[in-house]
Amino acid sequence: MKIKWFDLLLFILPAFFLYTIFVVYPFISSIYLSLFNWVGVGAKKYVGLKNFFDVLFGSFKGEFFNAFGHNIYFFILVSIIEVSLGFIIALGLATQIKGYHIFRSIVYLPNVISMVLVGFIWGLILNPQIGLVNQFLKVIGLGSFTRPWLGDPSLAFNTIIAVNIWRHLGFYVLVMLAAIINIQPDFIEAAYIDGASNWDIVKNIIIPLTIPTAQTLILLLFIWSFSVFELVYALEGVQAGPFRSTDVLGTLFYRTAFGGLGSARMDLGLGAAIVTLMFIVILPISFIYVRLVERRRI
Amino acid sequence: MKKFLSILLVFVFFSLFLTISSGTENKVEIWSWRSQDAEVWARVEKELNKRGIPVKIDFRPFVATEYDAKLMLALQGGTGPDIFYARRLPGGRTQAIIDAGFIEPLDGKIKFTYFSSTTLKSIRSGGKTYGVPFALQVVGIFYNKDIYDKFGLKEPQTWDELINNCEILKKNGITPFFIPGKEAWTLVMQHAMCGVSILGPEWIRDLINGRTNFLDPKFVDLNRRLNDLKKYYQDGFLGNAVTDQDAAFAFGQAAMVFSGIWGLQTWRQLNPKVNVGYFMVPPLTKDKKPYAYVYMDGAFALVKGAKNRDMALKVLEFTATPDFGTIFSNITYNIPAVLGAKVPSDPLLLEVLEVSKKHASPYVYWVGSVFVTQKPSLYDDILAPGMQAMYAGKITPEELAKMAQDGISQWYKPLMKKK
Repeated sequence: MKIKWFDLLLFILPAFFLYTIFVVYPFISSIYLSLFNWVGVGAKKYVGLKNFFDVLFGSFKGEFFNAFGHNIYFFILVSIIEVSLGFIIALGLATQIKGYHIFRSIVYLPNVISMVLVGFIWGLILNPQIGLVNQFLKVIGLGSFTRPWLGDPSLAFNTIIAVNIWRHLGFYVLVMLAAIINIQPDFIEAAYIDGASNWDIVKNIIIPLTIPTAQTLILLLFIWSFSVFELVYALEGVQAGPFRSTDVLGTLFYRTAFGGLGSARMDLGLGAAIVTLMFIVILPISFIYVRLVERRRI
Repeated sequence: MKKFLSILLVFVFFSLFLTISSGTENKVEIWSWRSQDAEVWARVEKELNKRGIPVKIDFRPFVATEYDAKLMLALQGGTGPDIFYARRLPGGRTQAIIDAGFIEPLDGKIKFTYFSSTTLKSIRSGGKTYGVPFALQVVGIFYNKDIYDKFGLKEPQTWDELINNCEILKKNGITPFFIPGKEAWTLVMQHAMCGVSILGPEWIRDLINGRTNFLDPKFVDLNRRLNDLKKYYQDGFLGNAVTDQDAAFAFGQAAMVFSGIWGLQTWRQLNPKVNVGYFMVPPLTKDKKPYAYVYMDGAFALVKGAKNRDMALKVLEFTATPDFGTIFSNITYNIPAVLGAKVPSDPLLLEVLEVSKKHASPYVYWVGSVFVTQKPSLYDDILAPGMQAMYAGKITPEELAKMAQDGISQWYKPLMKKK
């Protein structure tokens, strides 16, 4: 069948138009803005690459690399826990034990709660005095383990990661479950006939066949880890306290670009430079990762 | 019949158009970071309507942490309000809006008869007045009188007496102080209010002039005293927010809070029976005078080219009268910036008002000081993260002092020479 190019363009045009307005244009204008100093009102002052220099080597270096480090840490921890835990739970659900439908719904339930609500609920649960976590620890005689979960700099970020895992785990379980269910039953039946144990089947059939799904999830997690913002904002505010121990690039950008009470600096140009750098990090690594994964599949 | 219907239709459309356009004509949009002022503006609208001014006030509060950015972008995009709450000067944000020409100076348009020159100074730039000041804030230690009475405690005259009170309260199972340590700005406020009494205005004056610096043993000593005080705070205080503090204090779960007079409205709304007292942070010895941290909060500014400039000016004219101050203070329990207002005959408010007149420190290092006008700022960049770090045991009082000296000496000339 001959492709009718005009019809094809006609179909692409609306999406292209919207994509240009809402993605391409803001992105290009953000790169343009990163070359200026601008607080949001008045004339913009052209500073060339000074904002990038400030962020990478100058006065803003400390804040930027602190937040960047947190993003990397977030990615590593969340990838390991969410993907592996998602796989284990999915494996359990795939056996279709009694009541697995209910369990699947329970696991997915936090995903439908809005992030602001998640922040509010967990803010209460983790409250040092009246929070459920500390109260529970006291009731079971582990009062010495009570902590200000969101106020202790050595715990706050890990606590946020734990809440994040609670919120998103259901998604990873469902995706891994779909991958496991898609494995042809013949493979597993044949393995059983050949005398393979359950562990052998998991190790030699299920894990290798779900690896491509896990790779895709890790790539998505990488991109999401660098755009994490709402949960930190909801639990710790724009200051990402205590003393920036929960700061990520998203909150650093927000604080820098939109300022407000407790913000260290307010400069839309500097904020735009942070966003541009985030893009520079995410895009090439994503490309390299996709290429590597594809090459291995071939 | 057809003709009648057509005429009726035209009439309906015309009336509708007139209603809409007249509504827009009289509508004055006001933006603020203070959501608690909604009732004030409803009352102001009623009052002005009674006086024959058909104004309709559209009050829009925003989250304080996002307010400045939203306002600036709206002003730049031409979609801003008619009047907005401007933060006080000196301050980078309001100055940037003035420099960009978005605020109309009010000299000659509004009578500032009822304002002191000190108050007006905090909204003047280049000899022009850029707003009508609305509130004076007084910060200090607010305490639960019932708890104090129960244990026979008196308002402390010295720092040691304060510590003694804390010790008695703690021994009796009462949390002496509730600290919202998750919100770093409250810790800076705490430092600043202790500074005016313990270091004293003269020391702060010397700091401003460069005759001393943040490495001075007195400043380190203040940091150490605050760090030592943390044993009297509630467990896990770095995980608590201001909302937790308000609830705990209103319901008697803690004896004292470092706060501002703005908290009174919330505490009384939460628990009308709460019996609140106030004292300034006590100095080190009885022969020293205690000081209160008093500052002008902000001002109502007129947007240059406001949609309804004339009506907005009428609203601003009213805000510069004692009648506005009376409405404002009766609803918010804040001290109005305008003189001659009838503040509620509440003993606490009257006491705080008296303190603001007699004990206001002339030199400060938080809101309204030179140290917050540039970056890194003593407020946002140094004491906010630094106090949290010190309380968490990550840095020492000496290191906090060094942070302040290193940060401010980057841009403040009088402190550059002292390393």
